[in-house]
Amino acid sequence: MEEHVQLTPLERYVTRIGEKFGESAIENAYINELAKHVPTLVIQKEQWKEVARFLKEDESLHFEYLSNLHGIDYEDRMEMYYHFYSYKHRQNLAVKIVLPRENPSVCSVAEIWGGADWSERETYDLLGIHFAGHPNLTRIMLPDDWVGYPLRKDYVEYDEEV
Amino acid sequence: MLRNQPPTESVISPAPEIRTEEMLLNVGPQHPSTHGVFRLVVKIEGETIKEAVPVMGYLHRGTEKIAENLTYTQIIPYMDRLDYLAAMTNNYVLCHAVETMMGLAIPERADYLRIIAMELNRIASHLVWWGTYLLDIGAMSPFLYAFRDRESILDLLNELCGARMTFNYMRIGGVKWDAPPGWIEKVANFVQYMKKELPNYHKLVSGNEIFIHRLAGIGQYDADTALHYSLSGVMLRCTGIKWDLRRDESYSLYDRFEFEIPTAVEGDCLARYWLRLAEIEQSLRILEQAVQQFPADGEIMGKVPRVIRPPAGETYVRIESPRGEIGVYIASQGKDKPWRLKLRRPSFMNLQILPHLLVGANMANMVAILGSIDIVLGEVDA
Amino acid sequence: MLGFTKGLGFTLKKLPEKKVTHKYPDEPFPMPSRFRGIQHFSPEKCIVCNQCVRICPTDCIQLTGKPHPDPERKGKIIDTYDINFEICILCDLCTEVCPTEAIVMTNNFELAVYSRDELYKDLTWLDGNRTNIREEN
Repeated sequence: MEEHVQLTPLERYVTRIGEKFGESAIENAYINELAKHVPTLVIQKEQWKEVARFLKEDESLHFEYLSNLHGIDYEDRMEMYYHFYSYKHRQNLAVKIVLPRENPSVCSVAEIWGGADWSERETYDLLGIHFAGHPNLTRIMLPDDWVGYPLRKDYVEYDEEV
Repeated sequence: MLRNQPPTESVISPAPEIRTEEMLLNVGPQHPSTHGVFRLVVKIEGETIKEAVPVMGYLHRGTEKIAENLTYTQIIPYMDRLDYLAAMTNNYVLCHAVETMMGLAIPERADYLRIIAMELNRIASHLVWWGTYLLDIGAMSPFLYAFRDRESILDLLNELCGARMTFNYMRIGGVKWDAPPGWIEKVANFVQYMKKELPNYHKLVSGNEIFIHRLAGIGQYDADTALHYSLSGVMLRCTGIKWDLRRDESYSLYDRFEFEIPTAVEGDCLARYWLRLAEIEQSLRILEQAVQQFPADGEIMGKVPRVIRPPAGETYVRIESPRGEIGVYIASQGKDKPWRLKLRRPSFMNLQILPHLLVGANMANMVAILGSIDIVLGEVDA
Repeated sequence: MLGFTKGLGFTLKKLPEKKVTHKYPDEPFPMPSRFRGIQHFSPEKCIVCNQCVRICPTDCIQLTGKPHPDPERKGKIIDTYDINFEICILCDLCTEVCPTEAIVMTNNFELAVYSRDELYKDLTWLDGNRTNIREEN
């Protein structure tokens, strides 16, 4: 642990995850100065599930609290944004995952953080991002027979009359 | 005839072939104890709940979508309508997010006004909870006392910003109105009044044996469960985790005040009840100090560009609302309107634990457990 | 049993106290001077700058202007001005941006009507709503 003393939290996360999953797991890592300097990692989509479990269970990371998760439609791509907090180490962490715009799908973290359950359903409901392995991926805010995903930028309201 | 006969064996213990039947019971969406349009489909066997499925969305207005077509100042009135019992904290979290992105400095006087307004609002919100919760579990008169005192707070806030609940008070870079003459003294008087009144609340309810037996051990969970379900606010603190964003990730001027973070270890409805009352006490302490430190004069608006355009990028800030951790995520593309606005609503996240808590609970305790979560449906559905 | 009787004692002690309720609507309920009620609109002050329409978060204001009747003078004067109180949320932003204080808040807040159509208030009605006008805007 001694040689890690000099590392900033961000560097520490990158090394820890890099050691375990290889350099390719992290697509980008930076400090987001606009969001109170939160360390931000862009994780590769395929490895997200294992990395997520590691984030929670590894002693030196220990992000046991999921504050928020949601998706963003950037028209050419979709992004997932997660905000974690570790009560043990008193550290914040933001994780982003880039998804394709067509049929966006990412693995669900609802079994790792129970708090992700409804947020994932909400993201599915409003943005149409599919969460693989979610126990009950149904619409939560809108009626089940709703057509389309309102938070997408190209959403047009479906009208039965037309 | 029958009642004169001694009970036979089969009457006392039901024959093995007689089975109780599972029943689906629909609670809400129009039900007083759900505190809004919230629906709960419970599967009960006898009096025991086997499964509970929350159904929501009846108040979904699509605030996040609407906000994408509004300028930042125009979003503030919409924030009022999420958690309408504590609109000041909602105002603040949006302004705080934009200010964080733009690196704006807020004048001291405006910050004090914000804190006073937010803490008054926090007390008002907890008073509504206190009143309605006891109403839920069958006590009528506490509701009247709670609303009497809440009315004094609403009068104060009405005088400050011209509305009783939908304040639209804060602006990016400051506040809309300065304190009217004599207002700060009125707040100071109210704090003294409330300090005297609070022990009466305990006298009226907290010591009541029926009440204690009704709530102790009901809706219990531990710290790990709380963290697993992303609970925040009182729902988290009742399991012994000492965590309050006002102190631990201090924003505004909260680091200038001395206050405690009340915690409990039981994690049941009674603990949550005590914590909310203890939080009123701490808010009064903050108010008392804020009134004392209130600067004699100063600006109420910082130097803000005429058109508010946060730099391209994203931000996520979270603050402590009466219900827990309220967060705002903004993705900006450098325009005057947000590209994406995401609201982390504490009621929505806290409600997730409800199905877990209800399984195995008694049907009569459903209302007590739901009430102790303290949800506002405007916020759950956004 | 002690806690129970204590609470009952408190309730009994409160019995002779003065009432805190108001007799609204039999007696009018006075609002503080900053209260945001239904807008008053002064057509003579309006310069048709359209700022209130643009700032309105619910798009409830509609206005049209016409050229000034005096050909010597530039600019426009107001022709029609409608606020739809079905969706107006009395958020105060229109009065905040108005450069001439043509639109100001009043302390009147009673809007209940039997028909939805009556909630469309036009220029004449808004001009006539001139009681309890707010001083600071």
